[in-house]
Amino acid sequence: MKWNVGTKIAAGFAATLAIFLMVSLVAWRNVETSTEDAAWVTHTHEVLTTVSRLLSSLQSIEGSERGFIITGDAEYLEPFRSGVTEVETQRLRLAELVNDNPAQSARVQTLASLITARVRVLEEGMEARQARDFSAAQEVVIAGHGKKAMDDIRAMIAAITATEEKLLGQRALTANQAAATAATTISACTVLGVILATIIGFLITRNVSSPLRALTIAADRITVGDLGANVDLGGREDELGALARSFERMMQSLRSMAAAAEQIAAGDLRASVTPLSPNDVVGHAFVKMSANLRAQIGGMVEGAAVLGSAASQIVASTSQLASGASESAAAVSQTTTTVEEIRQTAQVASQKARGVSDTAQRAMQVTTTGRKSAEDAAAGMVRIRAQMDAIGASMMRLSEQSQAIGQIIASVEDLAAQSNLLAVNAAIEAAKAGEQGKGFSVVAQEVKSLAEQSRQATDRVRTILSDIQKATTAAVMATEQGNKAVEAGSRHTELAGESIQSLSGSVSEAAQAATQIAASSQQQLVGMDQVAGAMESIKQASTQNVASARQLETAARNLSELGQRLKRLVDNYAM
Amino acid sequence: MSVDGDVTRILRERATRLARPEASAPPTDTLELLEFRLAAERYAVETRLVSEVHVLRELTPLPGTPPFVRGIVNLRGRILPVYDLKKFFGLPEQGLTDLHRIVVVNGGDFEIGLLADVVTGVRTLSPAALSPPLPTLSAIAAEYLRGVSEDRLVVLDLARLLSDPRIVVNDGENE
Repeated sequence: MKWNVGTKIAAGFAATLAIFLMVSLVAWRNVETSTEDAAWVTHTHEVLTTVSRLLSSLQSIEGSERGFIITGDAEYLEPFRSGVTEVETQRLRLAELVNDNPAQSARVQTLASLITARVRVLEEGMEARQARDFSAAQEVVIAGHGKKAMDDIRAMIAAITATEEKLLGQRALTANQAAATAATTISACTVLGVILATIIGFLITRNVSSPLRALTIAADRITVGDLGANVDLGGREDELGALARSFERMMQSLRSMAAAAEQIAAGDLRASVTPLSPNDVVGHAFVKMSANLRAQIGGMVEGAAVLGSAASQIVASTSQLASGASESAAAVSQTTTTVEEIRQTAQVASQKARGVSDTAQRAMQVTTTGRKSAEDAAAGMVRIRAQMDAIGASMMRLSEQSQAIGQIIASVEDLAAQSNLLAVNAAIEAAKAGEQGKGFSVVAQEVKSLAEQSRQATDRVRTILSDIQKATTAAVMATEQGNKAVEAGSRHTELAGESIQSLSGSVSEAAQAATQIAASSQQQLVGMDQVAGAMESIKQASTQNVASARQLETAARNLSELGQRLKRLVDNYAM
Repeated sequence: MSVDGDVTRILRERATRLARPEASAPPTDTLELLEFRLAAERYAVETRLVSEVHVLRELTPLPGTPPFVRGIVNLRGRILPVYDLKKFFGLPEQGLTDLHRIVVVNGGDFEIGLLADVVTGVRTLSPAALSPPLPTLSAIAAEYLRGVSEDRLVVLDLARLLSDPRIVVNDGENE
């Protein structure tokens, strides 16, 4: 038969429960008996109490009857009546209490008749007292019927009481025996139950807990990430066997996950994990993680590339920045020097401005002189103009005479040419004349020579005349230009006069301005002192700037190297 | 006295040095030449064939004549044709001015005027001093040249030139 763990535990619990039920039954039965006995004891005590009260009531009505007999007072009648009623009541209750015991019932019947007889004796005594007198009543009492009835009653009550007490002793004994039996039974059952429960518990515990401990150890090793635990339980078919196989499958799944994680850790993001079921949280998480990693690593690759190039640009920019900061520091240094020079210059300018103010005053006097000179110059220009006109006329006449000379020279040239021709013809004729023409030939030669000299002379004159004409033309033009220059000079002189006039006003204003400039220069000097201080501060700041730029450059280089390293890192990932 | 003697001696030496022997009579076979210029070249013709030299005045162009005939002039009542040797010899052409001269030559039964840029003068030259014309000297037909002197004076054979039937302008024969 196949015993799985549930069945084993159920069987163990059933055995223990049976022992427990047995103990409970014994105890219940014992309690039941005890309760019954207690009820009987109570009943007995109640019977005894009722008998006692009955006797007490009888004695009470006896007392009332005696009181009435002795005194004859009616006030004793009432207690007598109520006492009679009470006696009747107690007697009825007693009869009810003992009706389960025939012997006792018989005794109570007897007691009832005795009581009735006693009460009749008492009533007779009272009737006698009431009807006649004390003595009659005394007779009744002395008759002794009442005392005998009373003694019987006491004997009967004693018999009842004795019987009841005997019953009480028997019942107590029975109760003690039952209690002892119950105690023995409960103890035995309890010991048996403890032993049985211990054995069953030990067996079940050994059967269940050691595999569970092995599984717990395996689970602990899995918890700390060790997937090499062996959970083989030797092919058990119960729930623990199934649990072990589940553990084995879980570890296989975890090992495949670990292998995939190992692959991803090695940078190969192509590892794929197939979820084992729609509820495979880890599998789905792995798939999502892999996809997200691919996306993120892709982003990181792009980011690393961007970071690398950006860092390179930053390095370049920071290098430029550093060099720019150095240049600016140098420029600031130069500027500081320049500001110092400017400050000294401003000092000089302030002194100069005072000098200018004095000079402006002197310039006022000079302009007055200048105005007079300008008027003189205007008059002189008018005279120059008249003389220039005269020169122009002379030049015109000279030009005309040169023309006439040119015409004369042309005539002389013509004559020379004709003479030459004549000489040639004369030579020809002389040649034709032969020996007689020899002398004529010499004359012709001389004429030709003269003609040639005339021609050369006219050539020279023409050359000279040409030079004269050119010079004349140039002189005419120069005269024209001179005229224009004189006109312009005249206008300029007038303008100069006006200018000097306005200059006079300007110089006056300049004098005032020079005074203001002197004051402003003083303020400027103060301002330049402040600027020099500020430039010193700027210089310090610039030096700090250079240091900061160097640090920034170093940081940018580190960043660039970091970007390169990051790029090399992300290059290790296979997408 | 020595001074006077020196002076006398110096004067005598100077006279001796300045004294020129009288030019010997020219040989009968010397050439009397009239020299003139055409363009940049110098030409000469024999004086015995030259009537006179005249200034070019009032040249009248004559249609229907060869290109070397520039026209006709009226010279003291005589009508002369004016020949341009530059056209004839293919020399570079220039415009006509008053400075041009006409050399009037006598061809026996007719007279013509030769156009000259400048008439230089009359000179004599020995025929032995003439050398045959070089083929490279301008484009003048060798048949009209007598020779070229050492100073590159081109002497024209005027008689042969005037006797060339191509020179003579005769409508009747040309027709």
